[in-house]
Amino acid sequence: MSMELDVFVGNTTIMDMEVYQLWLDGLTVSDAVKVRMDEGALLECEANAEVLTSDTMDQFRTFQMCERLLHSPTKLGSQLLYQIPAQNQRILIERYYEFDSVFAREVLGKKLSKGTKKDLDDISCKTGITLKNCRRQFDNFKRVFKVVEELKGPLVENIQRHFLLSDTLARDYAAIVFFANSRFETGKRKLQYLSFQDFAFCAGQLISYWTIGAMDSMMEDMDVDLEKEFLHELKDLKVLVNDKDMMDQHKILVCAALRGKIKVYKLMEVNFKNLSRALINLASKLTHTKDVRDLFIDLVEKFIEPCRYDRWTVAEITLFLTHYTNAAHCLGTFRHQRIWDRYMGVIKSCILQMYHE
Amino acid sequence: MGSGGSVGKEAGPLKTLLRQHTQSALEQREFPIFTLTCFPPGFLVHVGGVVSTRSVKLLDRIHNPDEPETRDAWWEEIRQEIKSHAKALGCHAVVGYSESTSICEEVCILSASGTAAMLNPRFMREGCLDIGGSDHRLSRQPHPGMVGSERGEGEVSSTWLGFEDASPPSCGFVHIPYDEFNMPFPAQLTYCYHCRRQKVPDVLFTTIDLPAEAEVTGKGCLIQARLCRTKKKAQGEVNATSISNLLPFMEYELHTQLMNKLKLRSMNALFGLRIQISVGENMLLGLASATGVYLSALPAPGGIQIAGKTPSDLSYDQHISTIQKRIDDTIAKNKELYNIHPPECIEEVVGSPIPDRQRSSRLFRSTSESSDELSELDLSHGKKDAFVLEIDDTDAVEDIQSLLTDAPIPAGFYSCNTEVMPGIHNWTSGLQMFTSVRVYRLSNANLTNQGLNKIFTDLCENLLKSLYFKLRSMIPCCLCHLNFTVAVPEEELIQVAVTAVAMSFDKETQQAADRALTRGSGENEEQLQFSMELCGESTISNNQPTAKPSGVPESAMVHSSRAPSVDYGSFADRCSTWLELLRLKAHTIRRGSVKTSRRTQLLAHSVSSSERCSPLPEGRSRSLRSTRSLPCGAPVTVVKMTPLSFLPGTRIVKYLGIINMFFIRETTSLREEGGVSGFLHSFIAEVFAMVRAHVAALGGNALVSYSMKECVFMENPNKNQAQCLINVSGDAVIFIRESDQEAIPPLLTSRQTSGTGADGTT
Repeated sequence: MSMELDVFVGNTTIMDMEVYQLWLDGLTVSDAVKVRMDEGALLECEANAEVLTSDTMDQFRTFQMCERLLHSPTKLGSQLLYQIPAQNQRILIERYYEFDSVFAREVLGKKLSKGTKKDLDDISCKTGITLKNCRRQFDNFKRVFKVVEELKGPLVENIQRHFLLSDTLARDYAAIVFFANSRFETGKRKLQYLSFQDFAFCAGQLISYWTIGAMDSMMEDMDVDLEKEFLHELKDLKVLVNDKDMMDQHKILVCAALRGKIKVYKLMEVNFKNLSRALINLASKLTHTKDVRDLFIDLVEKFIEPCRYDRWTVAEITLFLTHYTNAAHCLGTFRHQRIWDRYMGVIKSCILQMYHE
Repeated sequence: MGSGGSVGKEAGPLKTLLRQHTQSALEQREFPIFTLTCFPPGFLVHVGGVVSTRSVKLLDRIHNPDEPETRDAWWEEIRQEIKSHAKALGCHAVVGYSESTSICEEVCILSASGTAAMLNPRFMREGCLDIGGSDHRLSRQPHPGMVGSERGEGEVSSTWLGFEDASPPSCGFVHIPYDEFNMPFPAQLTYCYHCRRQKVPDVLFTTIDLPAEAEVTGKGCLIQARLCRTKKKAQGEVNATSISNLLPFMEYELHTQLMNKLKLRSMNALFGLRIQISVGENMLLGLASATGVYLSALPAPGGIQIAGKTPSDLSYDQHISTIQKRIDDTIAKNKELYNIHPPECIEEVVGSPIPDRQRSSRLFRSTSESSDELSELDLSHGKKDAFVLEIDDTDAVEDIQSLLTDAPIPAGFYSCNTEVMPGIHNWTSGLQMFTSVRVYRLSNANLTNQGLNKIFTDLCENLLKSLYFKLRSMIPCCLCHLNFTVAVPEEELIQVAVTAVAMSFDKETQQAADRALTRGSGENEEQLQFSMELCGESTISNNQPTAKPSGVPESAMVHSSRAPSVDYGSFADRCSTWLELLRLKAHTIRRGSVKTSRRTQLLAHSVSSSERCSPLPEGRSRSLRSTRSLPCGAPVTVVKMTPLSFLPGTRIVKYLGIINMFFIRETTSLREEGGVSGFLHSFIAEVFAMVRAHVAALGGNALVSYSMKECVFMENPNKNQAQCLINVSGDAVIFIRESDQEAIPPLLTSRQTSGTGADGTT
């Protein structure tokens, strides 16, 4: 005897969120049944394996049928096919778009194309996330990217409006879109120690302060690209290293402020010019797309690694960067205060996020 | 009540008089048959028991298949037979009547069943609805918590006591309608345990819902008898004959199973009995579903006594005593589970201090079987008190097996196939209507009857288990109106479809309600309100405007003014007998309906103010839908669906008409759509969605009395094809929440009307 057909349809669609998670995880029905059994599902309602299999199959089928609606979450609320309570709709959407940061870290900055999709089996092997799950997450990235890529207005809000995601999740997606758009280099070995959250934070900073939308919220322009004009103006900061007097002055001010406050004072004093040059050169190069992409690797190689070599603490870096930034204001001949603050604000918080002691 | 005693003595002649009255009213009708299952209190005077008939016909013998004559004649025959069965039970009417067919190739089984009953002549006679009575009936709509509820329990019951029939309302219907000295079948009669004046049978089977006035001890439960019988493949007459020969045995076995399971649960009455026999090419399926209850007015059921024919072998004896013990344990457990603790009854013959099972000296036979073999057995066995099962019989072994293999219902669940579970009143608004379909393929063609039975039983049991598991988040809850449909779509395929509603209830208040005397809830009146309101609208159209909710926009008004015509039709379909009657009473009803409509208006105000169920005009809902950025869930009206006639915790303010739709879906890409399950799953989901959309389009927010009348599924996996036909129907309604007092069970509020009213105002 075999079950030929087995369906259960409720007027209100019944969805077991635990089973939903298993489905999202890309498990097969039999694996999901095993997991549920291990979790003690059989103890409920005098269920047996058959009941559990039937329930799991049914739930998986329901999710599969709802999946196409989840691709455009706004439709989930207005569709008539499945009567799903608003609360459950929110959970369905949120969970569907949630992703593993390990996975996101792997594809961060990569082009969201077919080519990358082909590499998903490698990522699946590496991260231990099922291929099916990887595909879903990748497709989600791509879908969100495609929708908001050409949209005007703030990125996070666009994502929230079109995908009805929570604020945190929308911010993460904004980071992914931002990285995919600017194709920042994140795959280098030296960057491996950085987590998705580190990058997401940096992306947030860049979006908030370096894009066009950041400065002028009235501007109906994209949030995805860095402001060209600003990047161009960064060239003016070169004066800080090119002008010998100004550089010495800057060093004196910073040293005066930090004397006795940090343990690495001596090393700082020695290295000041190198560090300053690194940061300023970085700024002046950002007009080239290639260099924008290398922003993070440059930060690590030119600034973070030397500091780490000298065993700076986070507190020390904080102090240094704060005074380094502020001291420039006291330089009488330095006229690019606004650009300087905009640049250093982001660089400082990025460095602090990326600096793992 | 003082006059009750004398009336009791005169019960005989009074009964005759009553019968004459009612008969005259009913005799004018060719078929005094009602398909309704719920009646106003006092309508049913006595209930005789289930009457049923089956007929096997050959469809290819119809000379003129396009014309209905032959079929009409068949049904006419069947109805005549039903009528005569009812007569034999001393009844003049049949209630809870239903007809069904099962067709396989050219063979067709026509089945009809109902409950023989004596009806109150008051409802039958012309001009009988006096003003007082109808006023009462209008005001008897359950409206707990409504300020201005003008009814009192005492008032109502006195009205019903005022009828010619002297039987107290809570037990009258179980009193036998037939002559006790000239019984149509052997049955053990006792004096009614409630009034102690008239005779009642030991067991009562009916197809109707539990009358609201019935007194029930404990809770009820779904009882199913399942049976599968193989038959040889044959053609034409030979086939029809072999089916005809099998039918009586199947009926008998189903009946025995029902009886055994009833006893095992220590109950004494079945309601909503529905026996379905489906014919396939090489087998017959029988499925009987009913809700078992313990009627306080009937005697306590005896236990089940296992008897071996040859009690010589020691190990055999041991085997029997083990089974006996298991059965006794199960009975004890069930009593606990269903909370059946009947008050110590005062026996006319002083009882001996032995357990329940042995004390009750009731008969052990069901009402409609011949009892030859078992009475012999009784003599040999000596324990005349229990229902005896003879174990030597292979069938009996099977019976006992099936008795004991029925899995107990998981804690927190109740189930019934009637409208509501007796003993549960405090429903919350948690509601989940569902349909589940399963098709099993019997892989082994050479199955024995026992093997098939086992498979079929497991199938049903597993389906129930799956339902419980699926709905576990609703605990404590009751599956109501569990409606099983079996079919044999193809050789070696068994299809089972279930539609039911899971309703959760409040455990805390339930306990309080349990302590209170259990009386019927308000669903009866609810149905009554339906008819009254409609009748009022159809007779006086100038009443319409008052019923309009002033807050609802213009286009919604168009709907509501169109509605009565729809209503009228659907209502006429459902109960033309009543309509006819009630229309004659137009004058009376007009007075009542003014009252109703005033209330409707009042309630409709709250409809428009509550966001939940605003009957959006079409134009606006479209504009809502186009605004994409709205938060999810907002643009779509939530439409509730239920197979019951009411929604707990709500009041239906308007009936918008019947919805009856046929859908046919075909696919030629079965695999791509997720196989048969995927195909049917999405089809049923779409059917639900279309029904909901229709309800919403009429401005409604719920569909009541939903039923899936047809679900025919055919597949051809080799061709990657499948077809399905579904027929669903129900009544579109507008309901409103019973404000914030929703949680208060109707029972409690109706009992303490004044108290609740005060609470509401403070």
